[in-house]
Order: sequence, then C-alpha cells, then structure tokens
Amino acid sequence: MADAVLSLPVLEVTEWGPGIRSLRFPKSFDASPGQFVFLWLPGVDEKPFSISALDEDGLELVLRSVGPFTRALERVRPGDLLGIRGPFGRGFQLRGDALLVGGGMGMAPIRFLARELDRQGRRAPLLLGARTAQEIFCHDELAGLGARFATEDGSLGHKGLVTELLEPLLSQDSPSLCACGPEPMLLALRNVAQRHGLPCQLSFERYMKCGLGICGQCCLDGSGIRLCVEGPVLQGADMDLVTDLGLPHRDATGLRPG
Amino acid sequence: MAPPSLATQLAGVALEGPLVLASGILGVSASSMGLAVRHGAHAVTTKSCSLRPRKGHPGPVVAPYEQGLLNAVGLSNPGAEAMAEEIRQFKARFSAPVIASVFGADVEEFAQVTEILAQARPQLFEVNVSCPNVAAEFGQPFASDPQATERITRQVVARAGGIPVSVKLSTGCLSLAEMAQACQRGGARAITAINTVGPGMIIDPQARRPVLSNLVGGLSGPAILPLAVKAVWEIRRACSLPIIGTGGVESAEGALQLLLAGASALGLGTALYRKGLGVLEEINQELSAYLAHHGEASLPSIVGAVHG
Repeated sequence: MADAVLSLPVLEVTEWGPGIRSLRFPKSFDASPGQFVFLWLPGVDEKPFSISALDEDGLELVLRSVGPFTRALERVRPGDLLGIRGPFGRGFQLRGDALLVGGGMGMAPIRFLARELDRQGRRAPLLLGARTAQEIFCHDELAGLGARFATEDGSLGHKGLVTELLEPLLSQDSPSLCACGPEPMLLALRNVAQRHGLPCQLSFERYMKCGLGICGQCCLDGSGIRLCVEGPVLQGADMDLVTDLGLPHRDATGLRPG
Repeated sequence: MAPPSLATQLAGVALEGPLVLASGILGVSASSMGLAVRHGAHAVTTKSCSLRPRKGHPGPVVAPYEQGLLNAVGLSNPGAEAMAEEIRQFKARFSAPVIASVFGADVEEFAQVTEILAQARPQLFEVNVSCPNVAAEFGQPFASDPQATERITRQVVARAGGIPVSVKLSTGCLSLAEMAQACQRGGARAITAINTVGPGMIIDPQARRPVLSNLVGGLSGPAILPLAVKAVWEIRRACSLPIIGTGGVESAEGALQLLLAGASALGLGTALYRKGLGVLEEINQELSAYLAHHGEASLPSIVGAVHG
C-alpha cells in the first residue's frame, strides 16, 4: 500500500552546520520537487519533511533541530531504521521558465527543484537566503547550480533579504516564481509576482498530522483546501481564496495562537 | 420528470441529502468543514470536542493498509470555546447543518462542553461515548455500559438547549439493541452507528513495533461496512430513533446497504481519503440514479426497506 509506512535504513548522515544535517535513504519511490514525506522515529514521533533530493543515490531530507523531535533525530546514525510515509501532496509544476527562491529550511525543496531542472537541461536562476552562512546547506552543490546567496548578517553573499536579489532579474521574460521559505518571504514574493504579472508557485507550511487529507489539521482558512493534498505548493489562483496567510498557524489542537 | 430528491430528515433537522461528514474527518475549522460541503456533503460533524484544547497523540496517528485505515489521533481539538466559534463561523458561511460532537472524561465534562457549544446553536449534538483510541487515558469507553450511556445522554440532553442529541455507538458492547434503547430512554433523538472498530494494531515487521504511537487505533474503511450494516439493522429493530449509519461506505452500493438497513443519513470519513473528495458527488449521483431506476420518489421511502 503506497501510503503505508516503509522502514528504511539511513545510508548517510551529513552535518552541514549547527543543528542542520541531512539524512539519506535508499530510493524506494518516485516523487516530484515540492512533495514531502513523513519521517517516523519509532518511539518518539512522526513529522513531515520536504524532499531535498531524490535520485539513484537515494532520498535526502534536510533536518534542522528546532524541537524535541528534531533533537531526538540528532542521535540517528547510518544503519538505523526510520519510517518513511509518502510522497504526499502536489509539488511544483515544471513547465516554462522558472525563477527559484528558497529561504531558510525552504531551501530544501528548492534544491530538489533546482537539481531536477538542471538534470533536464533547464537550469533556472536560483536565489537562496538565510539568516547566516551557517544555515546554508549543500553550499558547494548549490553554488555549482548557479545559486546567488543572501544572508541577513552578510556572512555570505548579499547582506539582506533574498527578495532583494529578485527585482533586478525581473526585466527578463516573465518566468514563473517558484519558492519555499518563511511565510513573510512567500507573501512578499506573491506581491512581487502580482505587481509584475508573473505566475507564482509557493510552497506553504501548516501543522500536519495524517498526510492523507482527512484529519483537517492543515486546511487553510477560507477555501479550506488541504495543504497535504492540494498543497503544499499552491498556484497563484489557489491563494486567492485563502484568508489566513501571514497569520500565526493553527497548532496541534487546531487553535490559532494569539 | 424531476430527478428523485435525496432530501432526508434527522430528528426534525432537514438535510438536502443523506451524506454527513463523519466526526474526526476535516472537522477542525469552519473552512475545513466547508470544504466537504463544497464537494457534496449535506451536513458536517465537528471533531469531538472536550472542555480544554487537546493536542492528541504523537505521530504516527494513522496507519493505512489495503482494506482500511487504523487511526489514533487522540481526540485533538481546540476546546469548547474555540469550537463554538468555528461552529458560529460555519453557520454564517454555509447552510448545511452542523453536528457538534461532544466528548468528556466524565459526565460533567460532557454536560459542560454541550452547554458551551449549545450557545453556537449547532443543529444537532452527537455524543461520542465510544472512542476506542484513548482507553489508556480514560479507561473503557462509556458505550460498553448502557446505564452510563443513559446517564450521559440525559445530562447532555438537559444542557443542550433544546437541540436534538444523537449518541454515537460502537460495536464494542454486548448488545447494540440495549444500548440504543438506553439512549432513547435518556432522551436521545438519534443514534450514530458505528464508531471505528476495535481497537486494532498494525506492526511494522522491519521496525518490529506497532506503527501507531498509541500502539492501537480504531479501524475504519471498507473492512467494517458489514459490521455497520448489521449494527444499523439491529438498532432499527430495537428502537424508533433515526440513525446516521457510519462505517465503511465508499460507494453508492455501500450507502444503499446502510439506507436499506435503516439509516436515514450516512456518515462518510475514510472514503474521503481512499476515494478522494469526489466520492461525495459520485455517491449522490448514483443514489439518485438508483431511486429513479426503482421508481422511488424520495430517499426516505427506501430507509429500512429491508425490514419489510
């Protein structure tokens, strides 16, 4: 059954910076950039993660230690068995010219997208931002894909927000903006896209539990669409009927804080 | 000739058709429940609501398999005050009736939650006395004990502000007939049957441990349809209350079995995962076609037809 959990051995653990590392698993399914999987650490919890790479070398997920679950994952070593469910959701639509923007951990699915477009001989402009250079994972590979970097502290590339790298590129033919990152960044990009009449595909995040489209936890307010099925990548028109973009996210209880 | 009407009634509540979004499915917010209405549900049920917010169990909370789904979400909900607000918003935006599912650790919590949610005026209450996923926390569900169920029903009815009350039963009791009669004595105006079954367990042979963090979970999906059909049939014979038949329906064929057994409305849940949201319109169309083919003018004329 496609949606059932698969126990897979960790092939490789790569440390990228403080609290950021990637886990590689054997390839056991196909997926498209922007899709995600649930990662199960038996006895602890299960949470969704974007796929950051998928090819014959395997499936890669990038993790950042932010809570009890990701901290528990720090003890994972090659050979350990973890559970994977997925892939879930709708990813990026790979048609036409694209311009890719990734912010923070949102670089993970954008990396998968950049690799896929490059493999197809359609390398796209790639803009990546983080608070500091230490949060930029896979730097050499991404630089090799032509990435331009922005960091808020100026420790790598442009000092400032990644969105500031975008405007000078927009005089070219209208590409589709493909992005994943913090919601304020996505909303800024949506504004840019609307001002310039560009199509945009933005990958959002909400609290998720089932991944199957039934628990309702990741439904967006307004249209009610399920981020785990109709998302996580939303096309421009999908966002028009959503009323909670930019608001604090509903938590595990369904309550919106604040 | 006009197509036959799918309109039905539950305890005096008019529904444009029989399809009810079952509790626990998309019942978090006004918008998530509205998604089901836009895809063809005729009424929606909130997630079971307790007095205070609950996070539910850690993941995994679902374990799909070929014949169904095992879940132990753990009754996560935003608490009664926030749920009342979601109900108000739903009513402001949608005309489909909303059923408020109520849960509590004891009789008093059931009653308090009911009183708070009643202020938002849902069209129906559903009392969840039969969740199989929280036994470690709350002990055996009340629905295995007719006296306890009658007591809870009476308290909820007393605090429901005149809103009719349905009680959700499971197969985890000695006699569904006795349970349904106890609910009717307690003042229930409808029965919802059945809750998920079991609980059951799925073990991952590679990890060598149960998949669900709660170890066990309620079983739903097509595997339980025959249990739901038999339960509805038994309840229909035992009491005069209308029934929301729930369990394993994912086609018109399953829907018809429950209707013929005695259900006035049909709860759908796992089908929305296995078949997608389109299953709602598909069942509506096929039910209409069945009624037309058999020369039935309306849905209620086939409800309970198997009893002659």
